[in-house]
Amino acid sequence: MRNFKTTALLLTVPASLVAIGLYAAPILQVLALSLTEPKFGFANYQSLFANAAVGRVVMTTLKVSVTTTVLTVLASYIVAFAIIHMSAGWRRISLFLVLVPFWISVLVRAFSWITILRRRGVLNSALMETGVISTPLDLVYNLLGVTIGMVHYMMPFAILLLYANLSDIDRRIMQAARSLGARPATIFWRVWLPLSLPGIALATLFVFVFSLGFLVTPALLGAGKTLMIAEYISVQISSTSRWDLATSLSTMLLLVVGIIVFAAMRSPALRAAFVARPQQ
Amino acid sequence: MKPRRIIEVGLPRLLAWCLLGFLFVPILVVIPVALTDRDYLSLPRDGISMQHFAALADWSKGWLPSMLTSAGIALACAAIATALGVAFAVGAWAAGGWWPSLMRILLLSPMIVPPIIYAVGMVKLWARLSLLDSYTGVVLVHVVLALPLTVLAIGASLSNLDQRLVQAARSLGARPMTVFGKVILPNIVPGVAAGALLAFVASWDEITVTLFITGRAVVTLPRRIWTSIQDAVDPALAAIATVLLVITVLALIARALIEHRQQQRKF
Repeated sequence: MRNFKTTALLLTVPASLVAIGLYAAPILQVLALSLTEPKFGFANYQSLFANAAVGRVVMTTLKVSVTTTVLTVLASYIVAFAIIHMSAGWRRISLFLVLVPFWISVLVRAFSWITILRRRGVLNSALMETGVISTPLDLVYNLLGVTIGMVHYMMPFAILLLYANLSDIDRRIMQAARSLGARPATIFWRVWLPLSLPGIALATLFVFVFSLGFLVTPALLGAGKTLMIAEYISVQISSTSRWDLATSLSTMLLLVVGIIVFAAMRSPALRAAFVARPQQ
Repeated sequence: MKPRRIIEVGLPRLLAWCLLGFLFVPILVVIPVALTDRDYLSLPRDGISMQHFAALADWSKGWLPSMLTSAGIALACAAIATALGVAFAVGAWAAGGWWPSLMRILLLSPMIVPPIIYAVGMVKLWARLSLLDSYTGVVLVHVVLALPLTVLAIGASLSNLDQRLVQAARSLGARPMTVFGKVILPNIVPGVAAGALLAFVASWDEITVTLFITGRAVVTLPRRIWTSIQDAVDPALAAIATVLLVITVLALIARALIEHRQQQRKF
């Protein structure tokens, strides 16, 4: 009896050691360095809040993240809602169209958008040749390009989350509403939407948290002109070696993400959505 | 159709298809660019050419070595992450209690914590252990980032497993390792396979942390692509993107066919 449980616990040890030594420890060191580099105290944080460049980066990050989250969740809900109402064949095709971008490398997607949006790109060339515009539009390496790329990156995640949530809703409730004389619009606003709120909240949480710390798409589609936190941190460690700035900003980011996730977990519906998916 | 029905049902559905197009169509742009007859990023002008695909196979251009590097790292990562993930998931499932729950949260946290924070930590740690720009360093980091996926995939498999099976085996006198190896493991093979595949893909695609812990010695495929995107000239970039796109599409079709066949067998 005892022997079995001991063996089971022993099995969890190797992965736990990896998680503690190679994940928790390096991240704790980032937190520690933010207080000790170059000398002990909160000086790094004081200069962080006084730093105008950091302020601009934080504002850009918030602006892009909020816009991305709102657009992504809205668009993904429309798609997920349409998919669950499709026949099996169309549903398979639609899910294929979602899964290809879901699985393909984020770099390939960023590259596709650069090819389409840059000044001599596919879209500008097409618009110029048809005479719609005479000078190319600035569609990438700015806020617009970053937002397009981010929404495109986040949408497959959000669609799959919302699709799973919407599929779980008992359709007999809608039948009941219809038989009681509710019109389709009423059924949507009074039945579908309230029942899908946990899914919407989960998708919003994930997209917002991913957006806050996202490096690849903002860095490639912003090209240093639209600086977000992750890219700013990356510049601090790879070119200017400002470890004080990098570690204190990382700590702030971790703190914000932690607070958001912790606050979200207090809602029972979200906690259920989180815990029910994996094993019990 | 009545006008009201068109607005309430038709319009959202049309919008949904437009959004699906927005997701899928832009990715296809890499195909014509890969076939360009020019030596810069552009659409084909006077006919198509396969020269940029040929460049991928040219060892000296660096794409082939990067593919092999990534494949090797991903294989090693998948093997280690799967072994650790199976042991952890099975042990946690059988033991229960606060320790496995706490460790599970820690193991899954790389899915939520922004990878840039982890990158900052690992640059410091690997610099001290002189593992920067080494295969060992990259594989270990990829294992940490792949573990959440293997643990979740194997955990999902285990949640369908009947605990009474274990009780039956133990009451018949099976030793602990026999229970794990001969009773639990054979029942979670699909989860283990899914976990291994996810770990391979996670490693093959990883860029954010790899970017900071590698240099000239270890050039993974994503790293090679990253540099190439910043230069934004070489059409071989579009060719490699096309290859990755084709592999993704084929893998998804294969998965759909396998699922279809399994469903048919059930009836």
